[in-house]
Amino acid sequence: MPSDKQDVLLQVRDLEVRFGTKRRPFIAVQGVNFDIYKGETFGLVGESGSGKTTIGRAIIRINPTSAGDIIFKGEKINGPISKELDRKVTQQIQMIFQDPMASLNERAKVDYIVSEGLMNVAKDMPRQEREKSVAEALADVGLLPEFASRFPHEFSGGQRQRIGIARSLIMEPEFIIADEPISALDVSIRAQVLNLLSHLQRKKGLTYLFIAHDLSVMRFICDRIAVIHKGQIVELSETEQLFANPLHPYTQALLSAIPLPDPLLERNKELMIYDPACHDYTTDKPTWQEIEPNHFVLANRQERDSYLHRIATCDWPLPK
Amino acid sequence: MNEYKYTEPILTVKDLVVKFNLRGQVLTAVRGISMELFKGESLAIVGESGSGKSVFTKTFIGLLDNNGWIANGSIEYGGYDLTDFKTERDWLKVRGKRIAMVFQDPMTSLNPLKTVGKQVQEAFTLHNKVSREEAKRRTVELLGDVGIPEPERRYKQYPHEFSGGMRQRVVIAIAMACVPEILICDEPTTALDVTIQAQILDLIKRLQARYGLTVVYITHDLGVVANVADRIAVMYAGDIVEIGRSEEVFYDPRHPYTWALLSSLPQLGVKGEDLLAIQGTPPNLFQEIKGDAFAPRNPQALKVDFVARPPYFEVTPTHKARTWLLDPRAPHLAPPIHIENLRTLRRGGVDRAK
Amino acid sequence: MKTDNQTPRTSFFRFKDYKLQKMQKAFNDAEQTDPASVADDLFDFADHDLLDAERIGYSNYSYWRSTFQVFFRKKVSVFLLGFLITLLAFTIVQPLLPNQKDPYRVYNNEAGATLMNVQPNAEFWFGTNNIGQDIWSRIWSGTRTSLFIGLCVALSNNIIGIILGSIWGYARKWDKLFTEVYNLFDNIPYTVLRMLLMYIMRPSLKTMIFVMCLTGWIGMSKYIRNLILIYRDREFNLASRCLGTPPQRIIIKNILPQLISVIMLQTALAIPEAIGSEVFLTYIGLGLPVSIPSLGNLINEGRRVMLVASQRYQLLYPVLVVSAITISFYALGNAFADASDPRNHR
Repeated sequence: MPSDKQDVLLQVRDLEVRFGTKRRPFIAVQGVNFDIYKGETFGLVGESGSGKTTIGRAIIRINPTSAGDIIFKGEKINGPISKELDRKVTQQIQMIFQDPMASLNERAKVDYIVSEGLMNVAKDMPRQEREKSVAEALADVGLLPEFASRFPHEFSGGQRQRIGIARSLIMEPEFIIADEPISALDVSIRAQVLNLLSHLQRKKGLTYLFIAHDLSVMRFICDRIAVIHKGQIVELSETEQLFANPLHPYTQALLSAIPLPDPLLERNKELMIYDPACHDYTTDKPTWQEIEPNHFVLANRQERDSYLHRIATCDWPLPK
Repeated sequence: MNEYKYTEPILTVKDLVVKFNLRGQVLTAVRGISMELFKGESLAIVGESGSGKSVFTKTFIGLLDNNGWIANGSIEYGGYDLTDFKTERDWLKVRGKRIAMVFQDPMTSLNPLKTVGKQVQEAFTLHNKVSREEAKRRTVELLGDVGIPEPERRYKQYPHEFSGGMRQRVVIAIAMACVPEILICDEPTTALDVTIQAQILDLIKRLQARYGLTVVYITHDLGVVANVADRIAVMYAGDIVEIGRSEEVFYDPRHPYTWALLSSLPQLGVKGEDLLAIQGTPPNLFQEIKGDAFAPRNPQALKVDFVARPPYFEVTPTHKARTWLLDPRAPHLAPPIHIENLRTLRRGGVDRAK
Repeated sequence: MKTDNQTPRTSFFRFKDYKLQKMQKAFNDAEQTDPASVADDLFDFADHDLLDAERIGYSNYSYWRSTFQVFFRKKVSVFLLGFLITLLAFTIVQPLLPNQKDPYRVYNNEAGATLMNVQPNAEFWFGTNNIGQDIWSRIWSGTRTSLFIGLCVALSNNIIGIILGSIWGYARKWDKLFTEVYNLFDNIPYTVLRMLLMYIMRPSLKTMIFVMCLTGWIGMSKYIRNLILIYRDREFNLASRCLGTPPQRIIIKNILPQLISVIMLQTALAIPEAIGSEVFLTYIGLGLPVSIPSLGNLINEGRRVMLVASQRYQLLYPVLVVSAITISFYALGNAFADASDPRNHR
């Protein structure tokens, strides 16, 4: 999908998120830059501890940022903001969490859980209307309206995740951050939830930031993918281009490690291992570069030259 | 296809039924399984949560929860019937020494208060009477074997000083301490990152080749299965619905659940189109299940699927499935198109990243 | 072993084809069905309702029902609960029963002599004390007073403790400040403080309640704060924050319901603690004035005549009542806390 014709919904500029104390800070995310366009599914892939969840939570204002800007529809939304803007952000940016067993309030009925957001942003809504909204939200995710009077423990993992999605949808957001929404689900349920997310995107014109560690899922659902390693984004490109032409060695290692559901291929596959020592950043510091149109890599001058050369000669080290 | 090279049965399960008492109600977690495990093979047991795969293998080493019991059946191993074992002493003859288990979450399977070396050594000295120096030497050697660098130094460290992948290696070292015959790995890589996953599976394969182990993998990840398995058993609702060699199950699946499982993989999806999802949720095991357990979720179920439990029908001498579709009178159903995609992917070859 | 009598509806039982239903009964599920015994026409496709698959009842677990089930499984708990309820009911109802004596009145016999130190008999069921008052009615009056103190203290501990503990645990910015204040208060020896205050403020029912409430909330607030720290960053609370829920509603609707077992336990233990404290203060002479019967006063009086064998009953009965109440509350509090822990709902 050509991205220059679309509106930019979210911009992240030089984002840095720091944890710990002043004396011993832990920098989880550093120098992160990307844009998300309206209507697309933007994927953020990385291993555990890479900072991908931190970025998602920084956007939705759970984690405070220590430097950089997050700009949503032209307004800066990180750092201290006005109550009005806070309310707007709450309504328009929503999040789906990873673990359906931990992300619902066990002691509250589904009715309360799903309508919780409404009660915050639309305080004057009469009860009848609220109940109607809840029923609609449940129907949108394929659950029966009679489920509203039950408790979360009466449902399976997949159903609970759908309740979590209904909870976000009822706010009528424009942008949804899906933080590993299917990692904790059983294999046979994942397809259900992925289909649901696709349908909802088409029906409601949603934009997704899809955070995951499984590249094979990303390939199916994402338009563009950013690869993050130890708090820095190392490569960003459109999905098929990333799979056909991965430049950064970490991306290549990640791709080679994807499990394939095919015995012959899987047994003959060669694993690439990423060694951070393969970069020499002592004198030649890396910067965020656009190597090809819409294909960004974190590279220093020397690497950039080698990547350009590689593209020119079509010599991509494809693992089997 | 050539002959299956593993033919000597090492563990035989007959009509195993396992029940649990949960809040006053009885749940049947394993509903009559019969199968053989062959010496030297890698068997993968695939199923979603609630299928009973973990419970099934826990009966091999006597780790069933207190509120569970074996209601029927036998497990023959090494001249014993494991269902007769009642006391811990009985189980010590087998557990750790001849059958060992590697658990899912390395964070919680190690004792945070003991050094890693001590934990591995304990496993060793429990079954072998050797001097302390000898045990320590053996332990350091074992830590090196499982791929932990600088084993001498790391012997004295605590689990929290290891990364997830390293911890899983320690757990494997503990399991291998007495060089068991059978190694059961319960979701060994689910909690690990993709890059570490491949390394751990590699390690297990190396150990298997070196010590002639028989390995049982329990997993829901078909990519892992494709990597390691010689034979695959697909479990659903406490029963093995399909069992066969790896190529047979992947390239010629016969049970509708296996079809559904394979076709719902995102790797096989076409962008812009829906994935083939399995509707509904697994059945309630508190109730008696009539017929084929998968029938309510199967849009193409036959009437007989709701009435009578299908027996195994043989596809090849090594491949059988429990579905009425294999009965000669059943309508001929082709597997979903997505499974064809699997073969296309392989034929294509150029498209490397699936 | 009980079998499941409530069968959630599944699509099996929605079959309109009665012939098939009969056939289901004919085939024994556990056996491997012999294909030859299956009729040919069964190999047609069945009607399929996809929505039915959603309706498969997942679990009929109910938190409170399981809690009570686990609680009532222990016979001792049931017995103690019954006992405690009877005791409390009796305490309240006692003055209304016929033939009860006035706890304050001094009883004289027909000759006009005061009936001091009378052993338990048909008229004075627990005997009289050295002033001539009926011990039976004094004990129940004293129990009422002591329980009243205990309940007030427990209630105040809970309210203040929960509110302060919640703020302390939830608001990260104030954690340091609160911790310092807590350390300050915690280092003050309660007993000395209580003694001091009772001395200064002149003993009365109100001052005793005030004194105990003054320091009681500290333990509870720390307890609550620790638990809030644990639950604060769980995903369901993060989700509520993303939805814009203000902190007070997160605490009340999300976190506190998880803490009910803990709060009940603390409440149950606070009552005997208050009674014990009151007994102690009375012992050292800083308790309630003698004119108000309380268990502490009664025990004190009984203690004075303990060495005289014929008057030991004056100590025995109050001690029995205090012991019974203390043991019951402790045991029940612990039993309930255990029962309300979901991990015990097996």
